[in-house]
Amino acid sequence: MVNTHWKEVDTLKKVLFAGLCVPSLLAWLAAAGGAAEPNAVTTRGDGARTPGVHRIPLYAESVEPGKLGDKITKETSPAVPFSIRGTCSECHVYKHDYDVIQKGWHFNATDANVPPGRPGQPWIYTDVTTGTQIPLSYRAWPGTFRPDQVGWTPFKFTQFFGRQMPGGGAGEIDTKDDNEIPRQIVSGKLEINCLSCHDRDPAHDQAEYTAQVAKQSFRWAATASASFALVSGSAKEMDDTFDYLMPDMVMDEKKKPLVPTVTYQPSAFDHKDQVVFNVSGKISADRCYFCHSDINVDQCGSEKWQGDEDVHLTAGLTCVDCHREGLEHNTIRGYEGEVNANVMAAKTSCKGCHLGDENGNRPEGGRLGAPVPTHKGIPTVHFERLACTACHSGPWPGDTTYHVKTSQTHGLGTRTVNKSPKALPHVLYPVFAKQAPVDGNEAAARKIGPHKLIWPAYWGAISEDGKVRPLDLTTVKNVVGPALKGLVFTAAGDWAEIKDAQITGVLKTLAGSVKDAKPVYVTGGTLYRLNEGGTLASSWDHPAAAAYTWPIAHNVRPAGQSLGVGKCTVCHSTASPFFFGKVAVDSPIASLSSLTKVQYEFQQAPHGRTWAFAMSFIFRPWFKVVAIGAAGLIGLVLLLYGLRALGAVARVLAEQEK
Amino acid sequence: MFQTVADIALVMTFLGIAAHWGLVPTGGPRNVVQGGVHVFSLLLIEQRASILGVLKKLAYLVSLVCFLVLAITGFWPLLVRGEHISGYLMMIHATFAPVFALCLAILAVTWAGANRFTAEDCPWVQRLLRRTTRLHVATEDQPGRCAVLWYKATFWLLMFLALPLILSIVISMFHILGTSWQHFTMAIHRWTGLVFAVVAILHTYLAIRTRMVYNT
Repeated sequence: MVNTHWKEVDTLKKVLFAGLCVPSLLAWLAAAGGAAEPNAVTTRGDGARTPGVHRIPLYAESVEPGKLGDKITKETSPAVPFSIRGTCSECHVYKHDYDVIQKGWHFNATDANVPPGRPGQPWIYTDVTTGTQIPLSYRAWPGTFRPDQVGWTPFKFTQFFGRQMPGGGAGEIDTKDDNEIPRQIVSGKLEINCLSCHDRDPAHDQAEYTAQVAKQSFRWAATASASFALVSGSAKEMDDTFDYLMPDMVMDEKKKPLVPTVTYQPSAFDHKDQVVFNVSGKISADRCYFCHSDINVDQCGSEKWQGDEDVHLTAGLTCVDCHREGLEHNTIRGYEGEVNANVMAAKTSCKGCHLGDENGNRPEGGRLGAPVPTHKGIPTVHFERLACTACHSGPWPGDTTYHVKTSQTHGLGTRTVNKSPKALPHVLYPVFAKQAPVDGNEAAARKIGPHKLIWPAYWGAISEDGKVRPLDLTTVKNVVGPALKGLVFTAAGDWAEIKDAQITGVLKTLAGSVKDAKPVYVTGGTLYRLNEGGTLASSWDHPAAAAYTWPIAHNVRPAGQSLGVGKCTVCHSTASPFFFGKVAVDSPIASLSSLTKVQYEFQQAPHGRTWAFAMSFIFRPWFKVVAIGAAGLIGLVLLLYGLRALGAVARVLAEQEK
Repeated sequence: MFQTVADIALVMTFLGIAAHWGLVPTGGPRNVVQGGVHVFSLLLIEQRASILGVLKKLAYLVSLVCFLVLAITGFWPLLVRGEHISGYLMMIHATFAPVFALCLAILAVTWAGANRFTAEDCPWVQRLLRRTTRLHVATEDQPGRCAVLWYKATFWLLMFLALPLILSIVISMFHILGTSWQHFTMAIHRWTGLVFAVVAILHTYLAIRTRMVYNT
């Protein structure tokens, strides 16, 4: 018993000793670790607003993970493309900045753990030969489809849409498709191209970057965009065995001219074989525009000079004055109620800059010279029901929606862009719709704001439970394309009209390719399927065919052109575009493309109530006259009898004096 | 806060009226059904009334209906659903509001004379005035007339409250006030509306009581 007791005491001592020592050891290790990373070596800024000069050596792609690749000099032969990861990481190595940046908003779409945030602009795949216009996104935005749902690998997605991405994301994912593995070895990965945004050199060529992406020359894309290098050739044309470090091994005479080749401008290298990158954190709007331009083609065609820029830019601000980010690249998207680790997020929405925290102790509104609005005569209910953008953003609404082309949907700024106003995809705006719930912010969800819209058109399959999924795009291309005989294509890139009989034919053809479901065609808000008798049946306003909308914030119009600046009847009348404007239905089927919906349908507002409320504004002037007249009369009575009462009191007091 | 205060104020008003009705009998019918019929009959337009009398009664009845509609449409969404007035309720509210304002103006003009305060309105007020001011206030003690004083007071209070109630909403329809002032005018409309509703309920109750006292 005694021995057992002392053993227990020993055990207790050991536990106590361990309890004291282990945390101390851990604390010491943590402190030592901290000491090994003093602030002096961080790649954070020191507060100076002068951009640092980036005179640095170029490094090739690393062949050994975790180590720098070979240094590139003007004598390097054959000249190889520089690697952004290698070149920038020599300095930006602290805490692996590249890996941190990879988690930023522009690069993290493929990370399923990142909250999708407010629905945004999707990537839209269009194919006029199959009547397809489908919104894709790696983010879980309701109404979009993940690329893998249509059979696309990240590699294929990158080749298609990497043109207007700054690299990273899908471009750096190892492909799991056996057929694509050798192709990815040939093309390399599409690394984050810091130059896409940060390069201030006027000779920076982002269009050349997109050209390289289209040619699967991912490894060469960033180099091609730099002002001091030229890239020729095409990785797509090379065999699976091609090695970019040994271009001379290409024996096929036809392919030799197509070997991806880099030519550096010798004068770009100094005596230490360093080159100057004219990069800055103060990113010019011109850089953002390459991926974030849009143009109202109904009003301006493709002539940008006919349309005004965003009022903030013309006032002298740049995009990054609002869409700020630090090294983490967690860009502020700028919508009200945004959940973002960026400490400036709450302060940098419309409200954050123009109004600030209205209940705060110090004035925060009017940042960067933003006018603090008074909104004279606007009843406060408008601020509960409408996003700022409802009155201030997008084009002034017309009787019908306009067609808009954007960089990401139409590849504006690239060399192969179809400049026709009718080119697919057909994006419409402004659609005044209720914003979708986002980031758990129900208040923001109730607000109405202007949106862009597309009507999805795709071949899919409907299961027993009524769920519709799109078919693999390769299947569609191989089966639907040949089955859709007799389509008439135009150089404009517009829809080729599809007739009911053709849909019937394709659906019958697809029946063999679809298992456990029935083939359908979704377009213009309608779902087409074959009924039991084999005839074509359609369901208008089918949920699976609903339009995909995403809020727009730009271009912001000046206050003098905002919706609330005129009379109430600009919006509150039975002819107002805001409530009763037509939203065009877009489809390759003629009978659908002539249909329209009405704006209030997207606001989840019933027709009767909306119409009655608009009608009531006819009587609003009468209301004012009657109410003011009545108040005047009551005031006069009060004044009259008040004076009489005063006279009576005075009389009593006067009699008392006698 | 408004929701809580409004709930308490309205409940207190109705409880107070019920207690007063029970504790201070008027001499009218005590049976609930008979009392109801009696009260309803007071609202009817008398056959012997002149054209002006009919107009006055009509304006009163219309304003009573409007008041009920405005109170229900105004308070229901706020007190029951916890949200601001909107949709059809808003349209009904805005439709009845100018009619109510017009009726109030007619009542102000036609009823003001009859609602002037006189020395006979309430004996204990006369006594109080005599004691505190030592003035020669005419004395004609008539028991049980204090209800008239309160009736008149609520009338003038209603007229006084009608001004901010109407103007606060009308002025917000002009391009004059900015957002913070719009919030202020809405608050004025809301709070004035609450006080107006309480006073209107009391005024109606006192009107019924004084009629019943006179009739008995």
